[in-house]
Amino acid sequence: MRKTLILLSLALLSAAAAETLTVGLDADPPKLDPALSSALVDRQVMNQIFDKLVDLDQNLKIVPDIATSWKVSNGGLTYTFKIRTGVKFHDGTALDAAAVKYSLDRNMTLEGSVRKNELSSVKDVKVIDPTTVQINLKQPYGPLLGVLTDRAGMIVSPKAAEKAGQDFQNNPVGSGPFEFTSRKRQDNITLTANTSYWGGAPKIDKLVYRPFADGDVRYANLLSGAVQVITPFDPKDLSKIESNPKFTALNFPGLGFQGIWFNVTRAPFNNKAFRQAVAATIDRDAVVKVIMNGTATPAAGPFAPGTPAFSTAIKVPKPDLARAKQKLGGKPLTFTLLTAPGALSAQSAQLYQAMFAQAGINAKIEQVEFGTLLDRADKHDFDALMLGWSGRPDPDGNIYDFFVTGGSNNQAGYSNKTVDSLLAKARAQSAMSARVATYNVALATILDDAPYAWVYAPNTLVGLSKNVTGLKPIPDGILRFKDVDLK
Amino acid sequence: MLSLALRRLLSTVPTLLIVTLLVFAMVKLLPGDPARLILGQEATPQALAELRESLGLNRPLPTQYFSWLGDLLHFNLGVSLTDHSSVSALILQKLPVTMELAVFAMLISLTIALPAGIFSALRRGSWVDQFLTLFALSGISLPNFFLGILLIYLFSIKLAWIPASGYTSLLENPGRNLLLLVLPAITLGVNAAAVLTRYLRASLSETLTQDYVRTAHAKGISGARVTTKHALRNALIPFLTVFGLQLGGLLGGTVITEQIFSIPGFGRLMVDAVFTRDLPVIQGVVLVSAVAVFVVSFLVDLSYAAVDPRVRYH
Repeated sequence: MRKTLILLSLALLSAAAAETLTVGLDADPPKLDPALSSALVDRQVMNQIFDKLVDLDQNLKIVPDIATSWKVSNGGLTYTFKIRTGVKFHDGTALDAAAVKYSLDRNMTLEGSVRKNELSSVKDVKVIDPTTVQINLKQPYGPLLGVLTDRAGMIVSPKAAEKAGQDFQNNPVGSGPFEFTSRKRQDNITLTANTSYWGGAPKIDKLVYRPFADGDVRYANLLSGAVQVITPFDPKDLSKIESNPKFTALNFPGLGFQGIWFNVTRAPFNNKAFRQAVAATIDRDAVVKVIMNGTATPAAGPFAPGTPAFSTAIKVPKPDLARAKQKLGGKPLTFTLLTAPGALSAQSAQLYQAMFAQAGINAKIEQVEFGTLLDRADKHDFDALMLGWSGRPDPDGNIYDFFVTGGSNNQAGYSNKTVDSLLAKARAQSAMSARVATYNVALATILDDAPYAWVYAPNTLVGLSKNVTGLKPIPDGILRFKDVDLK
Repeated sequence: MLSLALRRLLSTVPTLLIVTLLVFAMVKLLPGDPARLILGQEATPQALAELRESLGLNRPLPTQYFSWLGDLLHFNLGVSLTDHSSVSALILQKLPVTMELAVFAMLISLTIALPAGIFSALRRGSWVDQFLTLFALSGISLPNFFLGILLIYLFSIKLAWIPASGYTSLLENPGRNLLLLVLPAITLGVNAAAVLTRYLRASLSETLTQDYVRTAHAKGISGARVTTKHALRNALIPFLTVFGLQLGGLLGGTVITEQIFSIPGFGRLMVDAVFTRDLPVIQGVVLVSAVAVFVVSFLVDLSYAAVDPRVRYH
């Protein structure tokens, strides 16, 4: 009896000491399945549940995760990975080479998989022995490791995925530091620490994600203590969080970019001079200062500063009204600028409008919600449109699909044979210095053709309570909570 | 009374059919392609075409409509495009949350509106009446989202009395459930309270000038008794109509309030479904809201009959 009582009180004590960290996100993650996920916010949650073949460190270096080492051979066509031993999925099954092959195959074949494009260069995946996996490529593809640091490289439990079928997205099972416990749509996603994690148990016991679509509401919840971390916060709240002794603001460069597409398939922007004229009016410093409150870097290309393909050879241009007027050649230019709702988009659109007007260019702003924006972009049913990209660790993910003829992100309808062959060449190169040189040549043409005007590279903004420790800023903007503690 | 109820119920059948047609047409008119939203910025044209095919978006519209209607007759609202869960299960999960919020908000608004309306009508022109008129005007003009954020700022951030957001079910933890619902219910209830106060004041003032009220006074019946027994009962009839309308409109109000206070209810389900073009969920939610408005107006009709004997003999 006494023993039971002691045990019971011990259990109660440990329950009371259970540490829960609550994180406010800007949207409810739609799909917690690495194959089906198409939203940035999904990655925040999935990164805790799933281990990946390889991961990124703070300096964007590719580091071991489930693969302890790897070798590239056969002229860049064969990647051989050594798989960590003794790793178990949350359902108790073992993670081995067969599970890695299963996950990669699943990403390439599952109906509705959004990973097919990223893995299109993979010919097949072979299990050599229980701890060795070989990926064979159709042609050399330098970005492969970068792609495997994200959803394409996440390893799912074959048993759980088979059993759950389409419902795996609501019951994800991986081998990561946190285990999926429950989700209530629009309310919370709860994860529990995986105490037998191969890399050591997490320091917190429970991780709860809650969605707050509105930036002010997200900020208010941080202030009131309802959540301890918010990502992202609005740029306008930066100084308020920084000056509050109870909170810390993480403000570090990300991988993405923002800017304006010009539809080259119809008037007025099938005229290159018009595209160049509009691009020349943009004052990037002013946009960063006024709209982003300093939480971004003016940009002229797709590679954010600090990333391997960033090159000082691509200079950020100053606004040049004389050049704009000269390119217009006295002809009138009126067009519609399409944008998605939201305070930042609306303010940027108005600022752009004012900048264009200085060169006598007349822009009307049309606001449609995001789904319509994507739809009209696909159909090339717009003059100009504001759309950015969250960014990928490998430079290919920031340029190839955007400017290659018929690329899935090529909203402009841009097509240039020279650019096509240069982008393909960069893909097949393995040394980063060689790739950067190729990109710079391609960018010179793209910048002159001006199907897109890069404006800035936004920072990742994370607000946290002072008692949250151990959170490292990784440039992909995904917060890893394994080593995070509440003091 | 029973025949009145039956007649009213039967008359809703064709209307509901028209509603299904309107809901379907409206959802189809929404710009944006659901397949595009599901696959996001990374979608390839092949993947898009495959997904459209498997979602049945390529079938002719009448086929899509009749297959949806056929499923409806079996109480099957389909599955969500976003996460493959059943639409009826989603609605059944969210509806009680919103209904609890709506009932709570209505109780708050009645608690304010009944005494305030009666007092204003009895003491027309007094400073209290003027104060209540000011309250009602501000209540009507103050937008939900503004009042909500104001309340969070005051009670959650400055005073730290009430958590800023979230929801716990009544069964799980009644105390916390009530605590979390207080601010959203006030946000929703204040507007309804303001409208109801104005209506009750107007209707009761008018009733109080009627001949039978003067007669009652002349017979020496006490003032309070005349007001409650004779005037108020008649004054409540127009009040009930407005109350019903407010209750129906409340569903719309919860959309914003649930966003601000992060309450996983019906309103947020609707907003999220629209943003993700989750067509089966949008259709289901709009249809259920339409049915809810029918139910409310049906109950209002029946309560007329209970309050006003003249209605029963029509």
